[in-house]
Amino acid sequence: MPGAGPGGGLEIMINFFGRGRDAIDYIVDEGSFEENLCGGETLDPEWAESAVVGSATLSGETVTVIANDAGIANPRFRMVYAGLMGLEEGFKMAHAVYLTIKADKDKPLAEKRPIILVVDTPGMSPGKVEEIIGIYKSTGAYQLASAEARRAGHPIVAMVVGRAISGGFLCHGLQADRILALSDEFGTMVHVMPLVGIARVTKINIMLLEELSEGNPVFASGVSHFYNLGGVDEIIESVADMRPRVKAQIDEIRRLKAAGEYDKVGPWSRLMSGIKRGGRKTSEKVIELMEEEFNLALSSWLGGEDDGFTP
Amino acid sequence: MGQTPQFDDGVVVGLGTVGKAPAVVVSQESKFLGGGVGEAHGTKMVMAIRLALRGQEILESRSKSSESRGRVAVVISFDTGGVRLQEANAGLLAHSEVMDAFQAARGKVPIIGIVGGTVGCFGGMGFVAASVDVLIMSDVGRLGLTGPGVIEEVVGTEEFDAANRALVWRTTGGRHRFITRDADFIVEDTMKAFREKVAEVASWPIEKIASKRIIGTGEMVLEQMRLVDLAANDRIQDSWDLWRQFGNEDIEYLWDSNVSEFEANARRWPRGRVGDND
Repeated sequence: MPGAGPGGGLEIMINFFGRGRDAIDYIVDEGSFEENLCGGETLDPEWAESAVVGSATLSGETVTVIANDAGIANPRFRMVYAGLMGLEEGFKMAHAVYLTIKADKDKPLAEKRPIILVVDTPGMSPGKVEEIIGIYKSTGAYQLASAEARRAGHPIVAMVVGRAISGGFLCHGLQADRILALSDEFGTMVHVMPLVGIARVTKINIMLLEELSEGNPVFASGVSHFYNLGGVDEIIESVADMRPRVKAQIDEIRRLKAAGEYDKVGPWSRLMSGIKRGGRKTSEKVIELMEEEFNLALSSWLGGEDDGFTP
Repeated sequence: MGQTPQFDDGVVVGLGTVGKAPAVVVSQESKFLGGGVGEAHGTKMVMAIRLALRGQEILESRSKSSESRGRVAVVISFDTGGVRLQEANAGLLAHSEVMDAFQAARGKVPIIGIVGGTVGCFGGMGFVAASVDVLIMSDVGRLGLTGPGVIEEVVGTEEFDAANRALVWRTTGGRHRFITRDADFIVEDTMKAFREKVAEVASWPIEKIASKRIIGTGEMVLEQMRLVDLAANDRIQDSWDLWRQFGNEDIEYLWDSNVSEFEANARRWPRGRVGDND
């Protein structure tokens, strides 16, 4: 596996576990990242520092960057450490997205700045105070902001460089137009729970789970399983490929959005990919059946065309 | 996996009416694998919202005065622990698809959530419930992201004693969620009470429904950050500390009173936005 570091021919295996901040420079134009500068506003540098947000350029174009730095804990909330996202982290990321939308509000579709997510998180903080305040709002706010930005035309590309685990991945990554992930060889972790955890909670024999996971991507860990389900759009085989592939995806997303093809990007497009790649066969049947039954029931539900709606 | 499947996959989806409004109804069944979201379950939820949007488009295309034709609403009854581990990856992805569908429905089709089941609403479905327009809970209903049992297992009993039922309810239960405004309404834990409240809300103009949202705009993020500030540096140890911050003095009385007394006397998070008191 080729490395992308300086030194030319050296075959060094780079891994970005816990080093989301370092990964930024391998994805955007080197040295262009300005932390806490977001859509023209400057954020408090002491606010939720493990949620790294800022601006950079990619091929000279301004982009918003949102990343995890697992090396920094939050001194105000003790359950926020090692890349876990807490109350402040999710809201800060959401804030960065809304600032981005606001900055480009009056710009044409082709000029809405891209948002690049650098993903390395083991999940949401499992703390008591997080539940008292309601951490579901923090991650929910960020997801809604991302969906709004995506639907407003901003290309959003997530680059998974380390861990994309469970609620952490939902919060930071899964609302993107496209999701790229370094291949399993880089130690990339994409899952809800390792098989041993699933076995413990469901009380299903681990041997059976291991056997089933060979051919079934719906519950097993790993980038390739998520690829088959559509949850990862593209697997990246080398660090040096990250920058050009992120750029190429941004161009492709722009082309699709210019043509109004919003169902060919984002979560719905990944459901369709999962069906195409054979990882979500049941969904295809569910969609067909529901379409069919909806059409059959439509006139009794909404009333016929001529006689108006009568409940 | 040695599990008996169920053809509806733990969620019932149907068309009906609430009050006068045509409605798409989604109801999770916690008796089937704890209401866990698997592949079919998740895709059914996503399709329900997409079809509600299509129904609304059909209504609007028929007549210029769409008000006389009614307006489609989505009603979701949550009773789930979130992702179903037996189909963990597909269930996880389904959550992102539901959130995207919610955003697509914004300002077009109102989404009304209810939480009153035995499991409550946890895991990823916690943020889904927080992202509806209006959330109605009973005092038996519970809402959270990381369930008490999971916190205890991952962090320890000192962080959360999941066997302490009073602690569980005052942290995640309907009364606390009403005080922080995550639940817009608290009702008696009966079908009748939920049905009446859903019908009332569905009859409101869409602007009024949207005004009940707690997240979904840049301003709301800043509002929520003010709430988060109150809890920084271990200043909040218990949900009741927060209740006191909002001016609730006789907490024991509030806790023991019936739902209508509680609703009338509870002092809620002073969100400070125009239109909150209607």
